[in-house]
Order: sequence, then C-alpha cells, then structure tokens
Amino acid sequence: MKFNIPIGPQHPALKEPISIRLSVEGEVIRDADLRLGYNHRGVEKLAEEKSYIQNIYLCERICGICSHSHSTCFVQGAEKLLEIEPPRRGVYIRYLVSELERVHSHLLWLGVAGHEAGFDTFFMYTWRDREIVMDLLEMISGNRVHYAINTLGGVRRDIDGPLKQKIFDGLAVLRERSEYYLKIGSSEPTFVARLAGVGRLTKQQAMDLCATGPTAKASGVALDVRKDDPHDFYDEVEFDVVTSDLCDVLGRTVVRIKEVLESYKICEQILRKLPDGPIAVKSPRRAKPGEVVSRYEAPRGENIHYIIANGTEKPERLKVRAPTLGNYAATIEMLRHGFIADVPLIFAAIDPCICCAERSVEMVDARSGEERTYRFSDLRRMANERARTLPLQRNVAWPL
Amino acid sequence: MNDEQKIEKLKTFAPPEAIAHPAPRRIFVTVEPSGLVALTARMKAELDTWFLSTISGVDKGEFFELLYHYGDTSGSVHVRTKIPRSDPRLPSICGVIPGAVLYEREIQEMFGITVENIPDPRPLLTSDDWPAGNFPLRKDWKFDRPAEVIPGGKK
Repeated sequence: MKFNIPIGPQHPALKEPISIRLSVEGEVIRDADLRLGYNHRGVEKLAEEKSYIQNIYLCERICGICSHSHSTCFVQGAEKLLEIEPPRRGVYIRYLVSELERVHSHLLWLGVAGHEAGFDTFFMYTWRDREIVMDLLEMISGNRVHYAINTLGGVRRDIDGPLKQKIFDGLAVLRERSEYYLKIGSSEPTFVARLAGVGRLTKQQAMDLCATGPTAKASGVALDVRKDDPHDFYDEVEFDVVTSDLCDVLGRTVVRIKEVLESYKICEQILRKLPDGPIAVKSPRRAKPGEVVSRYEAPRGENIHYIIANGTEKPERLKVRAPTLGNYAATIEMLRHGFIADVPLIFAAIDPCICCAERSVEMVDARSGEERTYRFSDLRRMANERARTLPLQRNVAWPL
Repeated sequence: MNDEQKIEKLKTFAPPEAIAHPAPRRIFVTVEPSGLVALTARMKAELDTWFLSTISGVDKGEFFELLYHYGDTSGSVHVRTKIPRSDPRLPSICGVIPGAVLYEREIQEMFGITVENIPDPRPLLTSDDWPAGNFPLRKDWKFDRPAEVIPGGKK
C-alpha cells in the first residue's frame, strides 16, 4: 500500500524552501517529486535593470555559502564583454578566495554529514576548524560571508606579507586537521557503515540526469570546470580532479575530503607564485553588443552564467544556473528505494544548508494511515536510532 | 578532443555556416527547431555532449532564441535555435537528455513556449495561484507591485 508524504516547503534539511513529495511503502521510498519556487526572487529579471557593477553585488547574494562563486562567474564573463584584462595579481587573489571558499563550504558539509549520521564529535571538530578558514577570509576581504572582493577588472583588496604568512600558517593547521579526519574515518566503522550504500546513484544515472559537482564525481564522472575550461588561471596551478566509484553518500564524503586537500595545494601554489603589480584596472561602464558564456566550478558543481550585452551599461540578459538545480533530478533518483530514515543524509549529500533547522515534517503512518507531524529532531533521532541498530557491516572499508 | 577536432566532427552533420567559434573552448551551432532533436542525438553520440548545463532563453522581440549549453571535458558546445514569437513551439530533447526536463519546464513558464512531448509539463517555479498568460522573462512583461494594505491601518 502506498502513501504520500509531503516534506516542506519549509524544510529544515534544505537551504531553500522546497517541497518534496515522497511516495512510501512502509519504510521504503518508492517515488519522489519536487516542487520548487518558494524562494524564487526574480534575480534574472532584476539583473536586466542593474548596471554591470551593481550586478556583481546582486550575483553575490544569489547564495549565502558560495557567494564568491556567483560573483566570480559573473565578473569573468563581464570582463570579457567589457574587453578588460585584470592584472595577474588581482586574478591570483580572486582565485585564492575561491579556493578558501571551497574549503569552508566542504568543511561545513563534512560537519553536517557527521551530524546527520549521528557522529556529532565530527561535526564539532570540522566546524571548529572551519573557523580558521573563515578568519582567513575575513582577514583577506573584511567579511565572513559576502566577501565583496571582486570588482570589474580585478579585486578590491590586496594581500601583504604578514597576511600571507598568516594564511600559510592557517593552511598548515587545516591540512594537519584534514588528514586527522581521514584517520578518524578509517578507525570509525559505524560512521563508514552508516554512509555506505545510502543514496545510490550509478554512473549512467549521473550522466543521464546531468548531475554535477561532488555528486557526479562520487559516481565516477570526472567533470570539473577548473580542468576542462580553465578560464585564464587554473592551467597555471597543479591539482587533481578527485573522483570516486562508490556512487553513494560515502563516496560524496570521500570526494569532498580529498577536494579540500587539493584546495590547500592550490592555495599554497597561489601564495608562492603571487605576482607583483596592481590588483585592478579601471573598467569602462558600457559593453559593446555581444554575448559570453562564463563557467566556474563552485563547491557544489558547475556554475554557468550566460550574459548578453546590448551596448548600454546594463546587460540585456543574464541567465544563471546554480549547481543545486542541476542536481535536483539526481536527488529524486537517490531518494528512490531509500528509507525514510535516510532522507536527511541523502538531502545533506547534495550539500544543502542545515542552519535553518527545526521545522516540521508531515508524515503518514503506512499501516494505520494516521497522519502525524514530526519535528526534524524526531526525524534525526529516527535516523540515529537506525544507525545504532544497524547490523555492523564489517566488510566495508574506508576507501582512502 | 580539442576545438578543431570538434568542429571537424560537427561539419559532418551540420552546415559549416551554422558553426561559430568566437572564443577558445566555446563553439556555437545554429539549428532549426525541427532539426534540434536529431542534432542533439548526433552530438551526444559523436561529441559526447551528455552533460547539459542549462537552457537559456532570450526574448529578441520578433522571435525567441534558445541556447542549449553542453559542457564536456575540453570546453563547451552551445546549440542555438530560434522560434517565432507568434508560434512558440519547441520539440523536447528529454528523449535524448533525460536531465533536460527541469530546464524545459522553466523555459515553458518563463517565456510561454510550448515544449512538445515534454514528459512532465507542470510549472516549475511559479506559484500555484500564478495568473495565466503571465510570462515573466518576456521583455514586455512588467510587474506592478500591488499597494500594501495594512489591516486596521489608515485608508
């Protein structure tokens, strides 16, 4: 007998309000459906009425975690349209902030994954260490969330010698801590057993549904804009694209931990190679008619902006596709054949933000047909209960 | 596969004047709406463009322009097609690229374009009480915010 469970629109496990309808048979999810638009702000329409410089700040506010991703993606494209070449030092500082943002986003996600799996020590550790990178970002840009460091033709703040040393010191601590997490993971069989096999997405499904970012990389798809489309910078540093063949939440965890280690590598190369010179050039206000496609690898996957200029100081059209939208189709596939108790983990695995937690989920008991409202804490308790009573999979190895 | 190899392959099934190469790693192919599905299938088979980044719609006045952005491991290919404003119909590519459905749903409600044979025609982003015939990303669509009424406030 099938029952429908609505989750959301005010759902705590998601960064944005979204409504997910689950069709369940007992504890097993048979089908899932998405309803979006509760947080649609009309940014694309608004961008047509703002100048290029105003649009940087508008784009920065598309997302609260990967704010730098959207502004960088827009600036990359707008600079092509305005025919300006940012100085090398400006470019290096821009992508230094990008990589530090990736570190902060992935450390945040690791904490959330630990929390959802009932491993709260991990959550405390990663979020404590995330403060190091947040402090570095604040020292570089002056802000913790919306860095506002990008401008047309470069960046707005320079890095001096003492700050450079502080970043090196911070990265050394972070690297040591991240390697410690790998060790914790390998000696914590319950954590590995809880994540293994949850939210499966095969390579073929990931390719068919156009999944992106760590979600696709964990299914063995090696697509990374930094390697494939290295817009003026990423071909100057050495790093590897991390993939995993596990196709589940464990794989997504592995990909993110390894990606953080790659980001440290990139940051250190940037600081060592940091060229001298100005950080920005003056930009014209009007762009000649034309079009540009700008791609950027955000922490969650590929970010694409398509900008058309019409000769005035405002763009004719700005199309934005954020990586999470690209992953929704894959999320539906992951939820299918999962358990209700795995829903928080699977949601978390595409990297949503949990800070707005503690709202309610309507559930229908499949046997009695009774409707009841679960708070998210109840759902999490159910998830942790399942982890405790799970038969320990002794053969699952930490794949690092 | 680099850009030149991709263009060589594209020339085997698209006319050379339809292919543009304005910047490194950016290739644009123009196609009639009737040939869109066939071109998408050929490209997926021969150029490995299974990753659809998104579909952009642009209101150009007399016609709508749609761009299908495909990413791969060496750059990106963009398929451009134009449909008249008086008869906005577009074939669905979901048979070839199943992940396109969310973007096609977005195109349908934002521009008022009918995507034929779409597996799931429901609106994606607009609210349940969205008035019919309002397509926000058309250039002639203007939003007038209704005056705020405070209950018990001054008239």
